[in-house]
Amino acid sequence: MGDLAKKLMEELECETVFTIPVFGGIDISESVVVTWIIMAVLILISICLTRNLKIDHISKRQAVAELIVTKLTGLVEGIIGPEGKAYVPYLTTVLVYIGIANIIGIFGFKSPTKDLTVTIALAVMSIVLVEAAGIYHHGVKKWLHKFVEPVLIVAPINILEVVTRPLSLCMRLFGNVLGAFVIMELIKLVCPMVVPGVLSLYFDLFDGILQAYVFVFLTSLYISEAIE
Amino acid sequence: MLHIDGWNLAITIVNLLVLFVAMRIFLFKPVQRIIEARQEEADKQFKEAAERQSQADELKAQYEQSLEDAEKEKRTIIKEARKSADDEYQRILKNAEKTATQIKQDATTEAENRRNQIIKMVEKEITEMVVNATEKMVGEKSGAEADRALYGKFLDKAGDES
Repeated sequence: MGDLAKKLMEELECETVFTIPVFGGIDISESVVVTWIIMAVLILISICLTRNLKIDHISKRQAVAELIVTKLTGLVEGIIGPEGKAYVPYLTTVLVYIGIANIIGIFGFKSPTKDLTVTIALAVMSIVLVEAAGIYHHGVKKWLHKFVEPVLIVAPINILEVVTRPLSLCMRLFGNVLGAFVIMELIKLVCPMVVPGVLSLYFDLFDGILQAYVFVFLTSLYISEAIE
Repeated sequence: MLHIDGWNLAITIVNLLVLFVAMRIFLFKPVQRIIEARQEEADKQFKEAAERQSQADELKAQYEQSLEDAEKEKRTIIKEARKSADDEYQRILKNAEKTATQIKQDATTEAENRRNQIIKMVEKEITEMVVNATEKMVGEKSGAEADRALYGKFLDKAGDES
């Protein structure tokens, strides 16, 4: 049991891969490196898929690219509505990134979303986007006025929401990924044959994609609420 | 795990922004552009098809109109032809009737003339015969001189006729 705890802690600890010797040394953690890998893969795939696109007589590659883009943007647009069309590309990117980050553990990498830093970054970006969208669509005055709607007394709660929303977003994502990982490790310890494979489908694949969807779904909801 | 590092946070945010921009440049923009272009193409083709359809309809209407005109003209021509043929027939018939009447009249006149001639001739013959007979009878009673004269006349006449 002691071994397990130690092993788990080791797995969960985000190690520093290397240090950039500027500003007194910037420690680059594993999650950042894995994020770079994910970025590189995504960008490479994108470039490969969108090479010489044509209007008709499209290649299979182009069909795949179009299918992926239309399905993903359609999914996000379905949540956020036609008014929030401008935010669809960002939300789709986040959806793809979190989805891949959650399931990259299958390929032997350490999920970046298992690092609280990454989920905090995602949540901070989400709340900045939400508030920026509110200011952009309504102007500063109306945006500020929204805090005292419907009555003045709810203002503290509304202000608190600016903090609780990203906090819940980041903690939900982090907690789910962490939880799924811990459960999988425990199952592997208890029964190392067959069962982990089956359950891995749920905890690694399904839960990972689901959490990506939930994160984007909630962010979309906040944005559409802010711009309505 | 729960260690939060400011630098890594900042780097992750930058990473996400870079990823977003890259995905926008390399995936969303090109695909959206091509889909829009295709939509435009499709719209254009639909428009063209509609235009062609209307043109075809117009042509069809024109064609039908001309067909109808031709039909009308045909009917007019046939009617006129029939009328002129009828007129011609009537004219010919009238002519024929006229000619026939003329011929009949001519024939009648001719027959009448011949008859009159014959009658005149017969009358003359009869008169002559009567005169002859009378002269004969008168001559027998009036003596030899008259006889002689008459005889001479008769001989002259017989000589003329023979």
